[in-house]
Amino acid sequence: MIGISSGARRTPLNGLDGRTKLIALLTIFILALVFSSPYYILGLLALVLTTWAIARLPWKLIKDILKFFLIIAVIILVVQIFFYPGETNLFRLSGPIGFIGFSGYITLEGIMFGIAMVLRLVVIMIVAPLLVLTTPLPEFMLALVKLKVPYRFAFIMTTALSLLPSIQSHSAIIQQAQLCRGITDFETGRLLTKLRTTAGLLVPLILGTFRDSQTLDVAMSSRAFGAPVKRTFLLESHFCPTDYIILILAILFLLGGVALRVLGYGTL
Amino acid sequence: MPETGVIVCENLSYIYPNGVQALCDINISINRGDYIAFVGQNGSGKTTLVKHFNGLLKPTRGSIRVFGEETRDKKVSALSRKVGYVFQNPDDMLFCSSVEEEIAYGPKLLGFEEVEIKENVEKILHELGLAAQREAHPFTLSLGDRQRLAVACVLSLSPEIFVFDEPTTGQDYFGGKSIMSLIDQLHAKGKTIVIITHDMPLVAEHARRVVVMNQGQIALDGTPGDVFSQIEQLRRLSLRSPQVTLLAQNLGSKDQTILNVGQMYAWLETEYLVSPRAAIGDFI
Amino acid sequence: MEPIIQFNSVTYSYPRTDVPAIRDISFEVDAGEFVALIGPTGAGKSTLCYCFNGSVPQLFSGAMTGTVEVAGCNTYQDEIPVLAQHVGLVVQNARTQLFNVTVLQEVGFGCENLGLPRNVILERVQAALAFVGLSGHEEREPSALSGGQQQRVAIACVLAMDPDVLVLDEPTSELDPIGSEQVMEVIARMNSELGKTIFLVTHDMEFVAKYATRTLVLSDHRLIKDGPPEEIFSNNALLDEARIRPPQVCEVSLGLRKRGYLIPHIPLTMNEAVSTIKGLNHA
Repeated sequence: MIGISSGARRTPLNGLDGRTKLIALLTIFILALVFSSPYYILGLLALVLTTWAIARLPWKLIKDILKFFLIIAVIILVVQIFFYPGETNLFRLSGPIGFIGFSGYITLEGIMFGIAMVLRLVVIMIVAPLLVLTTPLPEFMLALVKLKVPYRFAFIMTTALSLLPSIQSHSAIIQQAQLCRGITDFETGRLLTKLRTTAGLLVPLILGTFRDSQTLDVAMSSRAFGAPVKRTFLLESHFCPTDYIILILAILFLLGGVALRVLGYGTL
Repeated sequence: MPETGVIVCENLSYIYPNGVQALCDINISINRGDYIAFVGQNGSGKTTLVKHFNGLLKPTRGSIRVFGEETRDKKVSALSRKVGYVFQNPDDMLFCSSVEEEIAYGPKLLGFEEVEIKENVEKILHELGLAAQREAHPFTLSLGDRQRLAVACVLSLSPEIFVFDEPTTGQDYFGGKSIMSLIDQLHAKGKTIVIITHDMPLVAEHARRVVVMNQGQIALDGTPGDVFSQIEQLRRLSLRSPQVTLLAQNLGSKDQTILNVGQMYAWLETEYLVSPRAAIGDFI
Repeated sequence: MEPIIQFNSVTYSYPRTDVPAIRDISFEVDAGEFVALIGPTGAGKSTLCYCFNGSVPQLFSGAMTGTVEVAGCNTYQDEIPVLAQHVGLVVQNARTQLFNVTVLQEVGFGCENLGLPRNVILERVQAALAFVGLSGHEEREPSALSGGQQQRVAIACVLAMDPDVLVLDEPTSELDPIGSEQVMEVIARMNSELGKTIFLVTHDMEFVAKYATRTLVLSDHRLIKDGPPEEIFSNNALLDEARIRPPQVCEVSLGLRKRGYLIPHIPLTMNEAVSTIKGLNHA
């Protein structure tokens, strides 16, 4: 699901200025990285989930994200549990499990840090859709431009996002074309066959996308992209009172969070 | 009663995952040796329907049988030995690094005999006039040759039925003519041909049967003569008979439908023009 | 009056190729003409289109000799955004040239880049959409429109910038008959009602016969003929050389002439053909 382009979804967050949402998102990002205590990050997660509820976004999406994330989460957890240099030994694994870098003890700190890392990534992953699904692309681009990101860069970034659905549909057509060539499946088969089928998909897709991007280049220039004048934006954006409140809260949170961290709170 | 059609659709309906109903209660039987053209506005359901013929799409309701077997549980790769599908854009089908390799790719994957593949590739290279470019990289070929190669890739799986989606789109007159004569040859060898096109003169000159689709249903189904004589009905379906057909009608040909320039001359000289050429001789 | 388009001995090769995509092209077009460019695939038609607004050689680099002047601008010196105000280029594939999320954003894009005042842009967008028959579609997603509608949006995009010349590269090649007719009708009206100079590349000879006042024939990278459509469509040798099939009404008339019938003028339209052939019985 490529949300940012189908920004037609009307949610309470749609009314906010893109800049507000972008800054709030960055605040959460930074705080998630600043804290390393699972309790503090759990607090952030609660905040994000509340916003999710307010935005009335589908809970199924969180489920899908978590499902996708599950294996990575387990790996992170295991690695931290085994390798985090903790002090509070809970129990000792014996037998063949001793290997390089592993002391043989499972520590409390290891478990806590592993959980914190996983929660941190969960927060970062589910906070992004809050922006993406509630902000149509043009508003997102305008927010970037108003936050002094160069227009050319903002345009390229948002256009790349808006082209994803067309790349997706082209890729679906190529897959069908490949099936007609006798390819049995895109999922199964021996490694070599799999590499071959992937090449069959990627070669036409990349060449096609390259050709399209050349056409796009001509089409954009033909419509005066990059003219050496100050660009007009059809779209207008204004801060409303809610925007100010959220911005102030975000700044307070950020300053407060950093202050707590400096004072030694929020760590393991 | 024994089934005669190689492809038989019964009350076939298809609804896309996004809820759009693309096909509604299609009943059609395609016979062995048919040369059938599907025409109609974009979005009328032509491509959706023919994508059922090789199992790329499975009906939401109703059934489709290919050589007597339901496609529902069949894989596209299994059906590809019976129904070949040539996509509109050859570049979506090609990805190997030489022409030869490209043609052998499908048969290898489907486990054909090594010797048999070699012979077959050789035969196809010559039949399609690609032998001189056998080592060339597919992307260095001209559009016309890339399209022949796409046909070759499908041909190498030796299907009985060929589906062509807009084979002449984007080609000039000669390019279109060359691919159509290739399709004619396949038909002459007894293959069943299905094409989708917007080019009415092409339909009139090549197809033996025309199916007009409109809003997911079959609006007309008959010989080119039947279909193109219904000028008003076609106009309502946003289509137009070829210029010669209209010209002949405007000149008063009531009893027969003129489908190509050759038929036009014959009709003019035998039935329309009162004193052919003699008068001209006097004049000069 | 100065011609609005001047090509002087233009030869151009793409980077890393030895064979020029176009060779020694010279022609002039007066303001208000409707010129059709026809010829086989690979002859260099798209490349010629890219020359009009400086995309060749500015975007594609490569080696170009000769000069192109459009509406007093020089395609070497003047930058593409400047040229864009005089020449609107609609490239071959509508799908790839639409990249905004709404039709309004799409059509306004060019004027936004030119820094026009917001109210002026909105007026121009409305006018352009009304002209192509798509008023009320402002908030639609371009990708959700039909092929014909997408092509008309692409035309509205350049029309909103109010250029003097419109260059259209095979605008109907992927459309169904009804979509093609609607697009061609819009192009014809830009010429007749707005006085725009039209340079149209197409494989649809019936449209050429119906609308063009002048036809250029490009074959094997060279301009081999320049004349009114009736001259092109009555020249069998030329049609063969350029691999062009004339409209069937011309084909029938040419065939009859070959069979010895007296056909002084090759008809271009249905009505002309009917009266020409009827005339044979009254000779």
